[in-house]
Amino acid sequence: MARTAGVRRTGSASAHLVPLAPPDPADLPPHQVVHSDGGDASTVDEWGRDARFVRAVSPLAAMRWDVSVGGTANIRRGGGLIVINTRRFALAPVFTALFVGEALDRPVRFVGRPDVVPFGPALRRIGGLLAEPAEIAGALRAGELVVLGAAGTSNTRQAGPVDPALIAPAIHERVAVHIAATLSSMLNRQARVEIGPALRITSARRGPLAEVELAELAQHRLQTALDELGPMRRAVSLPGWGLLGASRDHS
Amino acid sequence: MMRGQRVLVSGMGSELGSLVASLLEAEPWVDALEGIDVDPPRRRLRRAVFHRIEPRDRARVVDVVTAFDPHVVIHLAVWEPDARVNTATAKRLTDEAATAVLGAAAECRSLEHIVVRSGAEIYGRARGALTRPDETAVVAPTSDFGRMLARIEAAAADAGARVGVSVGAVRVAAILGPHVPSPLGRLLRMPVVPFSVLADPPFSVVRDLDAATALVAAARIGLSEPINIAAPGAITAWQAIRRGRRIPLANVGPDWAITRRLSHLFGAPVPDHVVETLHRGRLIDCGRAHAVLGVNPTATTPEVIDSLYAWPSVVHVSHADLSSVEVGVA
Repeated sequence: MARTAGVRRTGSASAHLVPLAPPDPADLPPHQVVHSDGGDASTVDEWGRDARFVRAVSPLAAMRWDVSVGGTANIRRGGGLIVINTRRFALAPVFTALFVGEALDRPVRFVGRPDVVPFGPALRRIGGLLAEPAEIAGALRAGELVVLGAAGTSNTRQAGPVDPALIAPAIHERVAVHIAATLSSMLNRQARVEIGPALRITSARRGPLAEVELAELAQHRLQTALDELGPMRRAVSLPGWGLLGASRDHS
Repeated sequence: MMRGQRVLVSGMGSELGSLVASLLEAEPWVDALEGIDVDPPRRRLRRAVFHRIEPRDRARVVDVVTAFDPHVVIHLAVWEPDARVNTATAKRLTDEAATAVLGAAAECRSLEHIVVRSGAEIYGRARGALTRPDETAVVAPTSDFGRMLARIEAAAADAGARVGVSVGAVRVAAILGPHVPSPLGRLLRMPVVPFSVLADPPFSVVRDLDAATALVAAARIGLSEPINIAAPGAITAWQAIRRGRRIPLANVGPDWAITRRLSHLFGAPVPDHVVETLHRGRLIDCGRAHAVLGVNPTATTPEVIDSLYAWPSVVHVSHADLSSVEVGVA
C-alpha cells in the first residue's frame, strides 16, 4: 500500500494532517471539534439569549427584586404566552421573565426590547424580543415561553389593555395563554408574580375578532386576579411567624 | 423525484458547487449531471461533465444548456462580495450568470424545476427588523449582497412563472468551512478581529456540507418556495473571538469605516453585509427546514466557528516529510 506524508505523520501529535486527496462527502466523519481551550465557551441561543449572562445578572436582579412566584404548576411544557399587568417604569416583564424562568428552570422570553444600542442588545441577552407579532410567533412556534406586558398603568392594581396584535400569535400558533398578576413597588424589593391557569376561549371566532376578544378576556381575567391578589408577599408559614405577628397585634 | 433526471449545476467550480455536484453524483435519481462555471471544480467529480464558460459568454451558455436540456437547474453562480472578487465584479458576474443560466434554462423543454442559492442577507437588518425572520418575512435587503440575492430570486421566479416550472430558493446563512472563500471567515481568522462593543449581536452560520445537502434535498423534492437554512445555535463576534483566541478590536460605530479600510489593507476586505452581520446580527428561523426538506444541519454554529479556527493557517512540511512521500502505482 502506498504511504503518504499524512499517513506517516500521524504519530506526531503536533503535526497537522494534510489529506492529499479530498475525502468523499459521504465519507466525511462527524464534526469533531474541540474548543481551543478545552472549556465550555459561552454562546448565545438562537434568539440571542445568553444563559451565562442571565446567571451573571441574576444576583443583581435579586438585589433589586425579592420576587415570590406562584402558580408555576399551571405552565405546561411547550410554547406559551403569559400576559402580565405592568406598571410604568417597573420593568415587570423583565423581572417576571427572569424569576419565572428561574422557578421553571427554562428560558423565558419577554416582549418589548427596543432596537437601539445599548439597551436593546443588553435586553436581548436576557431574553428580550421585539414587540412584533412575527417575532412573538416565531418564539411560540419554537416552543418558547413568552411574557407579554399589557399597557402600563400608574396604578399597581389596575390592568391595562392588551394589544390584540401581540396576542394574536398565540391563536395562530395554538399555544396556551396564561395571565399572571404582578405586584412590585418602587420603594422596596418585594414583588409578586401569580400565574393563573390557561385561558379558555368559549367562542370560536374565525376572523380578527378572535384576538380582540382574547385580549379583552386576558385584561378582564388579569383585573380579576389583581383584585383577588393579597399582599405583596405570599403567605409564609415559617415556624413561630404567626406567634410573632400575634404578639405584635396585642402589644 | 423520478429517476433518470438531467441536472444542471451553475457555479459548479465553487466550493459549494463542487460539493453539491459530488453529492448529486451519489443520488439515484440523477441520470446525467453537467455544470458550468468560470473556474474548474475544486473536487474530483466522476460522473459530472463540466463546461468552463465565462458568464458574459451568453451564447455559449445557451448552447450548452439547451443541448443538455436539463430537468432540474440548480443555480449556484452567486459571487459573494469580497469572497473571490470585489463587490463591483461580484455584482456584474452574478447578474450576468443569472441572466444567462436562468434565461437559457427557460428555453429548455424538459425543464421541470429550478433551485436557486439565496441567503439570509435577503431579509435585511434595518432598525426594527425581526430578530429571526422566517420565510414569510418581507424581503427588504439592506446590503449589496442582499440586493443581489433578491434580484436572483426575482429573476428565477420570473423565469419559472413564464415557462410554468416550480422555483425554490434555499436561503442559507453565511457559509463557512475550512476551504470556503468567505469574507466573514477570513475576517474572523485575522489575528485582530473587530467587533461591535455596544451591540455584539448574535449571528448564525452554516457548514458548507450542510448547505450543499440542503440544496440537493431541495432539488430532490422539487422545492417550490423559499426555505431558510442555518446551523443550530448562534454566536456573537466577541464569543467567536474568544473561541479563536484572537485579539478583539472594539468598535463603536463610526470607526467601522477606518477598520474596514485597515482590514482591507491587511488582506481581509469587509463588505457591507459582513459589517451588518457584526453590527446588527443575522439570525434566521429555520423551523420549517426539516419538515420541508427532510434534512437538518448537523454542525452547530459554535462547531462551525471552531472548525474555522481548527484549520491551520500555515502547514509546515519539513524536508524529511517530503522525501518520505511515496506514490503508489497500481
